[in-house]
Amino acid sequence: MIPHAPILAVFLPLLAAFVLPLVSLLERRYKIPLAKEWVSAIFVIAEVMVVFSVFPDAKSSVVAYQLGGWAPPLGIVLAIDALSALAALIIVTVGALVFIYSFIYMRRESGVEHYYALLFLLLGGCVGVVFTGDIFNFYVFFEIMSIASYALVAFRRHLWGIEAAIKYLIVGSLGTSFILLGIVFLYGRFGTLTMANIMELMGQVAARDLVIPLTCFLVGIGIKVAMVPFHFWLPDAYQGAPSPVSAFFSGATATVGVYAIARIVYVLFGAASVGSLLVVLGLITMVVGALMALVQRDLKRLLAYSGISQMGYVLVGLGLGTALGIQGALFHIFNNAVYKTLLFMLVGAVIWRVGTSRMDELGGLWKNMPITAFMFLLGSLAIAGIPPLNGFASKWMIYLAGIEYGGWGYVVTAIALIVSALTLAYFLKALSSVFLGQRPSHLANVKEPPAAMLLPAMVLAVLCVVFGVLPQLGVDLVEPAQRAISDLNGYIVGVMGG
Amino acid sequence: MSINYAVAMMLVGLGLYCLVVKRNLIKLVIGLSVITDGIHLLLISIGYRSGGIPPIVTSAYMDNLEGFAARAVDPVPQALVLTSIVISVCVLALALSLAIYAYRHYGTLDVRKLRRLRE
Repeated sequence: MIPHAPILAVFLPLLAAFVLPLVSLLERRYKIPLAKEWVSAIFVIAEVMVVFSVFPDAKSSVVAYQLGGWAPPLGIVLAIDALSALAALIIVTVGALVFIYSFIYMRRESGVEHYYALLFLLLGGCVGVVFTGDIFNFYVFFEIMSIASYALVAFRRHLWGIEAAIKYLIVGSLGTSFILLGIVFLYGRFGTLTMANIMELMGQVAARDLVIPLTCFLVGIGIKVAMVPFHFWLPDAYQGAPSPVSAFFSGATATVGVYAIARIVYVLFGAASVGSLLVVLGLITMVVGALMALVQRDLKRLLAYSGISQMGYVLVGLGLGTALGIQGALFHIFNNAVYKTLLFMLVGAVIWRVGTSRMDELGGLWKNMPITAFMFLLGSLAIAGIPPLNGFASKWMIYLAGIEYGGWGYVVTAIALIVSALTLAYFLKALSSVFLGQRPSHLANVKEPPAAMLLPAMVLAVLCVVFGVLPQLGVDLVEPAQRAISDLNGYIVGVMGG
Repeated sequence: MSINYAVAMMLVGLGLYCLVVKRNLIKLVIGLSVITDGIHLLLISIGYRSGGIPPIVTSAYMDNLEGFAARAVDPVPQALVLTSIVISVCVLALALSLAIYAYRHYGTLDVRKLRRLRE
């Protein structure tokens, strides 16, 4: 591990967000070409190295980093267990690829330095949420992440960006208010903010006293992951945001949401009994997302609804609560980050070349953009769970977890299978209306996007195949995280000391 | 003391009511702000102690630290509320700037009229 890696992982993106506008000033004054892109790239690479260096340490034991050397109940700690490390790994990988993609995609926009600064804030917020061991810091980083997201959705300041950002802001702030309210109740009850310390004291209060704070957290985080009663902001936000931002949201921010559910509900509250509620909500989320995706006419909206639907699988896997179910859910969130980011990047490539993502205005682009089209096919098959791609591996684990559960677990598996078929249906529809069929005459001269834009997508496409052919790699990746979720005592001892 | 909790919960309730019922963007932003204020009041009340003293150890208390600990108010909620106020100012500023843009684009602040996306 690089010395002080935990705090560096949080600090570097925040520093980058501060530095970039200054760099941009210098760039303009002294006419240095591409200075802000280079600075961003250096910061991103440093961030990736720092997070990857934490990963091996956190896999076996909890890395507790005391800020200023103050011991946990009084001081603030960053506590990184295998679950945090896995989430951070997904976030920085997606983040780095999105940055590379943005260098080309955002070239035509003005004020790009603010875009990069906001993206770094978002990255820093995400990493902060997964690394912190302090419940109030959790809220602060959650807000940093949220505020950066609202601003990014509205970045282009066109009609639908503004409209989406307003909806997202109102609903999202309501969600974070609920999280804050939950934290206030917890503080009033336990008088401490360190998560491990709260977990130690958790046994001393009656379960019914914890219902209200737990509900507050569930509502707040449910809004963030777009669980079904709270999902309506998400398609607007994904459609209104620039494509790389949508890619980042669907890969990294969604991962943070799932991390928050696992961390708060399972680890902090130790409330495995909420599982059946999560399964029901997950099933509804899955079905509603898929049905809504079927009727969409805009490609980005379709992807957004399919993202809601995929989140349902993760919730179901987490809710089943068995080792296999949780492993399946964590593997699925990893896979979801891979193919969802891939698909949004490809849709972004189409928008970048053609200028629209409305499916009835597109068609026959396979001849013009064969590489993009092929990767879109790959991503669609992966998300629909067709073997031998990665989506199949994780969905298979969730199906098996349902059957293993017995009783109503069979129903869960059956519904999950049907939704998987629906997923294939709407992705084939999308594929045929964008890349196959009649090509409108004005699209005859459309070319492949530049290589620097295709490169990050290719990395993700290769990951789709690798984790599909060798699912054991993925299981090895998520297995320590699953053990971290069930080993509450290990977390407490790791943070508070023996 | 308990009146603080009651008022705090009432503020949160009023804010939620405003978010559900009102359709004007500015009023929605006010609703959000009222909810946050309610939570802040709740938080600060948790750390309050009637007849308490500031949580700063002066020379007068150096030989009587137990007595100090028994009377000092809890400083943590105050720090939390300060942090949270800063955050909520950021959110409000962003929300109002978005409202300005929305008014420029649509000529109205009625959120029911902001529905270009569904088409």
